[in-house]
Amino acid sequence: MSETEKTAFEPKIVAYVCNWCTYLGADLAGTNRLEYPSNVRIVRLPCTGRIDFNLIIKAFEMGADMVVVSGCHPGDCHYTAGNYHARRRWTLFRDLLETMGIDLNRIHFAWISAAEGKKFAEFITEITDKARQLGPYQAYREICE
Amino acid sequence: MIEEIRQTCRTLLEAGTVNVVIAYGQSNPDGPVHPIFVTKPDDVEKIVWNKQCFANLTTYLTRKEVKSLGKAAILVKGCDARSLVVLVQESQVERSDVHVIGLACEGVGEPELAGKCRVCEVHMPVGVDVTIGSTEAAAPEGQNRYALVDEFMKKSPEERMAFWKQEFERCVRCYACRGVCPLCYCNQCIVDKNRPVVIDTSATLKGNFAWNITRAFHLAGRCVSCGECTRVCPAGIDLRMLNASLAQSAEKHFNYRAGMDPETPPVIGTYNAEDKENFIR
Amino acid sequence: MSETITQQALRALVDEWIGAGTKVAGPSYVKKDLCQYVPLTSSAELLLEGFIHPRNSVKDFFFPRHEKIYEYTLKGHEVELADMTPASTPQVIVAARPCDTAAVAILDAVFNWGEKDEFYTQRREAATIVALACVTHDSHCFCTSVGIGPDAEKGADVMLLPLDGGFEVRCLTEKGKTLFAGRTQPSDKTAVIPEGPKVKVSPEQVRAALEDYDNPLWKTATLRCLSCGACSFTCPTCHCFDIVDEGNAHGGCRAKNWDSCQLCMFTKHASGHNPRNVQGQRQRQRTQHKFRIYPDKFGEVLCTGCGNCARNCPVSLGILGTLVELCAEMPKTVGESK
Repeated sequence: MSETEKTAFEPKIVAYVCNWCTYLGADLAGTNRLEYPSNVRIVRLPCTGRIDFNLIIKAFEMGADMVVVSGCHPGDCHYTAGNYHARRRWTLFRDLLETMGIDLNRIHFAWISAAEGKKFAEFITEITDKARQLGPYQAYREICE
Repeated sequence: MIEEIRQTCRTLLEAGTVNVVIAYGQSNPDGPVHPIFVTKPDDVEKIVWNKQCFANLTTYLTRKEVKSLGKAAILVKGCDARSLVVLVQESQVERSDVHVIGLACEGVGEPELAGKCRVCEVHMPVGVDVTIGSTEAAAPEGQNRYALVDEFMKKSPEERMAFWKQEFERCVRCYACRGVCPLCYCNQCIVDKNRPVVIDTSATLKGNFAWNITRAFHLAGRCVSCGECTRVCPAGIDLRMLNASLAQSAEKHFNYRAGMDPETPPVIGTYNAEDKENFIR
Repeated sequence: MSETITQQALRALVDEWIGAGTKVAGPSYVKKDLCQYVPLTSSAELLLEGFIHPRNSVKDFFFPRHEKIYEYTLKGHEVELADMTPASTPQVIVAARPCDTAAVAILDAVFNWGEKDEFYTQRREAATIVALACVTHDSHCFCTSVGIGPDAEKGADVMLLPLDGGFEVRCLTEKGKTLFAGRTQPSDKTAVIPEGPKVKVSPEQVRAALEDYDNPLWKTATLRCLSCGACSFTCPTCHCFDIVDEGNAHGGCRAKNWDSCQLCMFTKHASGHNPRNVQGQRQRQRTQHKFRIYPDKFGEVLCTGCGNCARNCPVSLGILGTLVELCAEMPKTVGESK
């Protein structure tokens, strides 16, 4: 990749967020006029417990350079325990991806509550920078050619 | 031992305790061993027990064609008994509906012992109704169950990805791995769902990665490492590596091993508020 | 008198083809204990002895497991279609087993029946098949039971017969002659190929046995079948495919993918009804298709006795075993009266 391409590169980031916390956190960031990169595409789901790992794979298949999964803090789940279940699953899933050689820097997990508009904006800014540094996720794109 | 197995099965069939015995048979003495379904007492003579008895017969307990035969007795090795534990835990099999005949097993595979047998800790099956035979065989002390994975993880992520590309390149999506797996019992597999299509059915790298990741992860914290998927894959894909990696993960993070104890709640489907979360922001 | 080639010369020739840009495929160990027909990058990878039958079949090179028929792109409200051009790069399949080459000849009929399958025929026309006669067989082989043998020439352009560390070369078609022109040495020896496996059933016997459509054997003998496609996908003659659309909001393709009558989705209707709802019916279908339906339409049995179904079956349920059981049940007179 040449220097010009590198600077021109705009990463595609897919954020799977829960309806009750992170989605509202993103909303709060908006109403507070907090700026964050427009690279992120937010997909709202009922709960982190509903965020199927297939969605993460699907995002990569469709050309995402980074995937974010975010929901309510432990103890705050609208459905009591969806995020606890999700947490266990992600723990195992990350290890599987690691065995497969899939870059874990491409997947980020966070707890962002409805009050944390600032955290949302900062988090997205930070990972977008990181995605820019990493460049396009060529490895998975090659698989999908 | 074989006489005792046959006699036990004969008694069960004659007494009408069970309608069918799910066992190992051999069409000819040099031929491969395969599962058989014995319904007549005299047919127990067809049952064999030798180093070629690889199959994990518990996969038949959830099959409608076999269920329609009535109450079953089943032969299980130690590793197979573990998958039965998971089936019972997941309410797929009513334990009291099956008569489980455990076989003391010193490992299968000849001349070379199957990989799983070299690290086996369940030579004597547990949770069975009756055990036939006995063995002193035990797991080698201080062994690393996950040596294979640890060795593999020494490679760089790029090398690992390259390895899986090479492996999945050969996958023809015959779903033998799914067919043979006792824990792949879904009435409708996710890959057979076409509204919407979640996983490409095409045997391309893209579809094959999605399929194999999915299959492995659907067995996370459930796979008992019976090794059948790897044994039957016509493309020789090293599937056990993925399963072993997840088993290692479940043990490392949650101190859980699938099918070892029916009383321990399954790792997926339960939670602990104190679970580690050092990867979450 | 015969024409011969040494193993060394043959390997040099294979390297020459590869060097000239021809796609060359043949049996090779892709990993420990796994022999498959694969594209070769050098003749060093090529197996010329010491294998019975690769775990896949040569149909892979004419009828790949996934093939795009066309691609589409969505631009606003417009749809752009792009036809896929069938591949016509010259290819040589070398050291194919006679049961595999015979299968290609059988498949020609079905892929040219009514509409010509351009994808198949183009590849077929651009291909030269060099068969390698078998000197050994295993318990799964039954080519002789379906009218083929260890040195059957059906479908082959060239037949190689092991002889004194090299091969006797029999060029059977013009294509074959061109490929080996000037490369062989005359010899006064001819190869003698041992007889193949013992004849275990006859297609006539099987045909008669299959008349009993509701034979209870379908239920009992196939009970262990796990409903996977290992048999069909590694079978040199199974040729069923599924048409799928794969794409997203921007574009995608329509593709032809292998399908197997053993998979539960094969006959499932949109309504949810499945006419072949249990595994016995699916097993019956596969056998009926190979030994009754296909012969009725195309005049030959859709099986070459390679034994790959049994070799690859997770529970060793090959078609031969089923046929033997089926025929053993028949009154002796049936087979003879035919």
